[in-house]
Amino acid sequence: MEDKELSPQESLDLIQQMIGKARKRYTDNSYFFLLWGWIVMFASLFHYITAAYTSFEYPYAGWSLTIIGAVLSMIKGSKKSRQAQVRNYTDKLYGWLWASLGIAMFTIIFNGESIGWNTIPFILLLAGVGTSVSGAMMNFQPLRIGSIIFWLLALAAFRVDPTKQMLLMASGVAFGYLVPGYIMKSNAKKNAV
Amino acid sequence: MPFEALDPLLHSQLRLAVMSLLISVESADFVYIKEQTGATAGNLSVQIDKLSTAGYISVEKKFEGKKPKTTCKITKQGIDAFESYVKNIQQYLKP
Repeated sequence: MEDKELSPQESLDLIQQMIGKARKRYTDNSYFFLLWGWIVMFASLFHYITAAYTSFEYPYAGWSLTIIGAVLSMIKGSKKSRQAQVRNYTDKLYGWLWASLGIAMFTIIFNGESIGWNTIPFILLLAGVGTSVSGAMMNFQPLRIGSIIFWLLALAAFRVDPTKQMLLMASGVAFGYLVPGYIMKSNAKKNAV
Repeated sequence: MPFEALDPLLHSQLRLAVMSLLISVESADFVYIKEQTGATAGNLSVQIDKLSTAGYISVEKKFEGKKPKTTCKITKQGIDAFESYVKNIQQYLKP
């Protein structure tokens, strides 16, 4: 690019062209959806099977994996933002959205006793908010569909006991995190991001 | 109505390109700006210095491992200047 004088029309064209270039490109956030999808899938199925069919005393033990998930997410998130050549507002919002939802979800889980361990309907509702807003920000249909599934499962979860709620949780992350996560990953590969 | 003079600092191809990129993002790396504008490192460096001296952008230089990393960010003053530049340019384009 030369450093030449511009006509007013050339100026406007240049502004438009550069703003277009800076506009959001496809972001691959599949790592987080797959990580959390598998952690929650494992923890909820483990919880259901041990609580329903065994006399194992600590069916909720699998949920301790969420602590590891939180640490891994923080490490990956900060590495991603350090390496990024450009920081845009969408990525910033995205990070804050999920961090805030994470805090809300952990608060519900750690205070579960006070609501008779009926935590899953609330977790499903919050997961639906995250996937819906992420889907809108990334203009990504599978996440929007996932959010509707989360909300429908939340409606059902209010009507069943805490052990059965675990099966709804597992279905929720299958459709809301894992399916969109794998589609996102394969799209990212196709677009060579 | 007399036309307002266009800000000479912005009315130049490369500096305007840099400002248009930075107005749409929170911050951007020197390498990213170089790629998007297609400018040479030397020329871009000079123009970034000019914008920074005027207070239109802030420049942060640090090292990541052994590699230097220069991050640019538009300032409040830069946003105001960019907005009034666009407003003034529209006057010239009115039929």
